[in-house]
Amino acid sequence: AMTTTLHAFRGCAVRDFSFVAQKPGCKSLRISTEACWGRCHTWEKPMLEPPYVHRHHRVCTYSRSRPMTARLPGCLPHVSPLYHYPLALSCHCAACSTADTECETS
Amino acid sequence: HEGLAPGCHLYPFNVTIRSDRRSTCRGTHLVYACVGYCESSAFPSRYSVLVASNFTHNITSASRCCTISKEAKVKVRLDCPRGRHHDEIEILTARACRCDMCRKSRY
Repeated sequence: AMTTTLHAFRGCAVRDFSFVAQKPGCKSLRISTEACWGRCHTWEKPMLEPPYVHRHHRVCTYSRSRPMTARLPGCLPHVSPLYHYPLALSCHCAACSTADTECETS
Repeated sequence: HEGLAPGCHLYPFNVTIRSDRRSTCRGTHLVYACVGYCESSAFPSRYSVLVASNFTHNITSASRCCTISKEAKVKVRLDCPRGRHHDEIEILTARACRCDMCRKSRY
């Protein structure tokens, strides 16, 4: 039932996310957190004047987040074991901001 | 748009063109846009991304957006009242759509 729900889901929501935190000089650690996932309303429409395509491209991204800190195991003496990452409190469809986000698209 | 399933689909709309010439000539044509819902996600950046961005990009967004993958030109005939002449203007229409690269919106 959950798969069906996600299959048809439209919008942008907080979703469980787990990743492996890695940095040089420490052992890695699997972290379970919350991130953003969804399907945003996007479109491209031909128009008469340049640039000839009217575009509305939005992506599902963090709207509010909380900074989190994990402690990585097995770090070398001179390496800080602290690993910082954001936890999503809420998500929204918005333009990807290169100020605080690595915007990857294919 | 509410009836659309996820994905990126052709969406018809009417374009009405008026000529400059006293705005008396006009023509309407059905053309297509691409409209839909494509997947995107955002999550904590990998350490290599953090280092490369001087620890400013702590979020990574992986996204696709609804785009026009194939387009065509269509001729719209502008009819003028009383005059026997008519103009033709070429406009673009979408022929196929795909969830693909997101681009900066200009509007």
